[in-house]
Amino acid sequence: MKKMTALLLSACVAMGSLAAQGTKETAPVAPKGPVDIKISTWTSNKDQIAILDSFVREFAQKKGIEIHADFETITFAEYTTKLSLELQGNSAPDAYWVLENTAPAFIASGYMADLTDALQAYDYSDFSQPAMGLWVKNGRTYGVPFSTSPFFVLYNEDLFAKAGQKTPSEMASDGTWTWENFRKTSKAIKDATGVYGFQTVDGGGYDARILHNLIPIVRAYGGDAWDDQGNVKINSKESVAAIKLFHDMVYEDGSVVPPGDQSDFYAGAAAMTVGQVSRVSKLADGSFKWGMAPMPSGSAGSSAVIGQAAIAANAKGKNVGLAKELVAYMTNKDCVARIAGIWPPARKSVLESEGFLSSNKLVTPQQMKTAVAASIKSGRVLPSHIKYPQIEVESKMVWDKLWNKDADVQAICDEVAKVYTKYVK
Amino acid sequence: MQQSSLRSQQRLEAATGYTFIAPQLIGFALFVLAPLVMIFVYSFQQKNLLFGTSEFAGLANYKELFKDDLFWKTMGNTLVFSLGVVPLNLVLSLAIALYVGGGSRGVGFVRSIIFLPAITSGVAWSIVCKYLLQGGDTGPINWFLLHLGLSAHNWLFEKGWAMGSVIVSRVLKNLGMNVLIFIGAVLNMPQDVIEAGKIDGAGHARLFWKIKLPLLMPSVLMVMIVTVIGSMRVFDTIKLMTDGGPEGSTMVMVYYIYHKAFKMFDTGFASTLSIVLFLIVLVLTLLQWSVRKKVSYYEN
Amino acid sequence: MRTNHILGESVRLLVLGAIAIIFIYPFWWMVVNSLNSAAEIFGKPRLLPVSWRWTNYLEIFQVQPFARHYLNTLYVAILGTAGNIIVASLSGYAFARLRFPGRNGLFLLLLTGMMMPIEVEIIPLYFEMQKFHALDTLTPLVLIPMFCSQGAFSAFMFRQFFVTMPDELEEAARLDGLHPIGIYTRIMFPLSQPIVASAAILTFLSIWNSYLEPLVFLSDIQKFTLPLSLANFNDSYGLPQWHLQLAATTLSVIPIMAVYSFFQEKICDAMVNTGMK
Repeated sequence: MKKMTALLLSACVAMGSLAAQGTKETAPVAPKGPVDIKISTWTSNKDQIAILDSFVREFAQKKGIEIHADFETITFAEYTTKLSLELQGNSAPDAYWVLENTAPAFIASGYMADLTDALQAYDYSDFSQPAMGLWVKNGRTYGVPFSTSPFFVLYNEDLFAKAGQKTPSEMASDGTWTWENFRKTSKAIKDATGVYGFQTVDGGGYDARILHNLIPIVRAYGGDAWDDQGNVKINSKESVAAIKLFHDMVYEDGSVVPPGDQSDFYAGAAAMTVGQVSRVSKLADGSFKWGMAPMPSGSAGSSAVIGQAAIAANAKGKNVGLAKELVAYMTNKDCVARIAGIWPPARKSVLESEGFLSSNKLVTPQQMKTAVAASIKSGRVLPSHIKYPQIEVESKMVWDKLWNKDADVQAICDEVAKVYTKYVK
Repeated sequence: MQQSSLRSQQRLEAATGYTFIAPQLIGFALFVLAPLVMIFVYSFQQKNLLFGTSEFAGLANYKELFKDDLFWKTMGNTLVFSLGVVPLNLVLSLAIALYVGGGSRGVGFVRSIIFLPAITSGVAWSIVCKYLLQGGDTGPINWFLLHLGLSAHNWLFEKGWAMGSVIVSRVLKNLGMNVLIFIGAVLNMPQDVIEAGKIDGAGHARLFWKIKLPLLMPSVLMVMIVTVIGSMRVFDTIKLMTDGGPEGSTMVMVYYIYHKAFKMFDTGFASTLSIVLFLIVLVLTLLQWSVRKKVSYYEN
Repeated sequence: MRTNHILGESVRLLVLGAIAIIFIYPFWWMVVNSLNSAAEIFGKPRLLPVSWRWTNYLEIFQVQPFARHYLNTLYVAILGTAGNIIVASLSGYAFARLRFPGRNGLFLLLLTGMMMPIEVEIIPLYFEMQKFHALDTLTPLVLIPMFCSQGAFSAFMFRQFFVTMPDELEEAARLDGLHPIGIYTRIMFPLSQPIVASAAILTFLSIWNSYLEPLVFLSDIQKFTLPLSLANFNDSYGLPQWHLQLAATTLSVIPIMAVYSFFQEKICDAMVNTGMK
């Protein structure tokens, strides 16, 4: 009995301290002493976080204060949900990464601080204009892109050699690297080796990354999801033809890793995939020879999709002022150059420098030039919208219908267009 | 003198009583009653989690509810899910209980095995089931079926199979509990009635339909309602195994609420959905209580 | 007749064996593949691990603060269970044995809490916790099992138990001049050990396994509980790390199974009780 009472007592004490802990966290940080800055990202890569942390330390040194940076990793798949919940909570980050497709929603939410003043020293002309477009509203800047990273084709040279096929790089240099040939090659490899010819981007091309997967083809044929004027184009003749091409690859040729199958390019179980520079580190163990090439082209030329991510300061955070300055520091020319090998910058001066071309030791300068730098110039970010979270959830259910052998592509695209129209208008 | 001491004792008792129930009732008011009131309030608001806005919107959410195709679709899916889970669960658990309940060799062992998934977290169980149900010919289930000469499927990604797969994994997870309840009920059956039936020459089928089932009916009803309520609340299985897909064919009520509120940030509309769920559960619970009254009457 | 009996018995054993295999295989498969590489998991199913990668079990602690998640879960489960028992036994005792105006009405009101699924109230609870500055802390995960349906159910169990106690016990104690508080702490609570055990098992399990509440209330990876952690074994781009996920799942399931194997009867009884609530 005594034991029980002691247990209960200690439980009560613990409860009390729990409550105390709760209040402690909300207390304002004293201006003196180290400042806690919390930064939310979706990377869990230790090296990448170490670089970001070194930026914070340099910034603190320059300011002559002590900053304790707390990097928080939120999974990519849950990022938007978790981040928005966290911004409402009492442990909201002071600075955070924002994904391009949710930029309008986050700017509208008022959680992205106006960085215009903190960026006064900025030479805006150094940024390629399309790159900043998403982050500027009514002449005020709310986020600075730290990564403007095009998607390109990664391929397994060993499998191409085994199947006796011309590699994408070879086709790119002799001008035959089209989506038609992409399809033919993929099928030829599957037929010759039994290994899938293509795996969609991060294996997510059927759900979470459906637009990353389809839009490069769609745009290469002159279509789009919707344009800046709010015209929905996903069911246009061009878009449907492009989507049909991919659908045929999956269901007629059987050359694409199908939905629900876990065959992985990086494990050697597919001959091609689509990726970004940051993915290249997964190929470092060298179990096969690999290469990279720009996205194939279609009747309307080639169009790389650019994945963009920006860093923003929390407008309702405890250290807004400091966070704004920190964001400005982390995206200055010097810092950007140092992360360029992982996250290609939107700064022209860095992109054109020699240093950038040799910034990733796994990628040759030639590859960096043709597959990355060139694509940044020709590519465009995915369509975004203030209602993107709704659009994504609702359209996914319609898109799912596409993943059947007998799917009527035109009818499904019409249905997707209906969902898009409801929100985009 | 005597009376006043009695009164003071009564007063002391009442005071102690209120003190003892205070923590529970305060917590109840804060975390059960207040949220219940708020959910009604929210359901009349245009409320956005991300933008932090909330405005009175009258019946707008309720009107939208009736126009929302997805709502009707999730209602239908939830119904299909329940219609799959409940009969399958009842038939299997009753069959196992009757077969195992006799109590012979190995029964204890099997009983404790069946119970394993019930104490495992839904998350862990769903993760494992998802792997077992992989498409292609190397997924364990497919591998087994192919060796039996049956056809393989991409269970969680084919519209026709996803709901069925989710139902089966859910049934297997909770089967143990119902088996145990039914074993208890089987052991409580008056043996003399059954013996009398046997002497009258009733066969197995007749014995079951005419004697055993009526005897077990109260427990069956109870278990049925509890299982229905449980199936209305399914969340983790869906989120981890199918994410509501393909084509939203496994999007059920609770998952739709979660999506609307925390992925699409439309907390006002999501609250309206919660009201619907609340009303369904309320009706089922009232049903359950009235059945329980009958059951205890029967037991007495 | 005799051969018939033997035949019946062997069929019976066969059926029992088949049932056992259906229920054991998933766990067996989980443990085996927690010792494989990702590629081997998607190869032909095997009964034993191929490469015996014990390093999987080290890596899970590097990819995520898994040890922290474990401690978080224990912390929440122990505090929530203790709180649930204290609060529920107090009110259960009062509702059963102390007379005060409004007793029955209040008890009925409390019972309605038993039927309230957390899924219905998750949205207002979210906003409430936001107001209390309790988002992204473990506090809601302790409070909810204390006061929501789990709490009401424990109170119900305690009340049903205390009602059956003979009056003489209390009478004697009262004549000895013991205050009602003393009667509760010295006599009644110690007598209710079986209910304490049942309620504790149920509450502990429900906290240990809960998913929706942490999913909504927590976002900082340092605060995660085990179910969230298991669902979160992805690399930096959201690609699942299959082998690590299975190793972590194994680690989260094993302790519960170990406890279950010791207190099987008790746990089964307790769970069946909720089934019939």
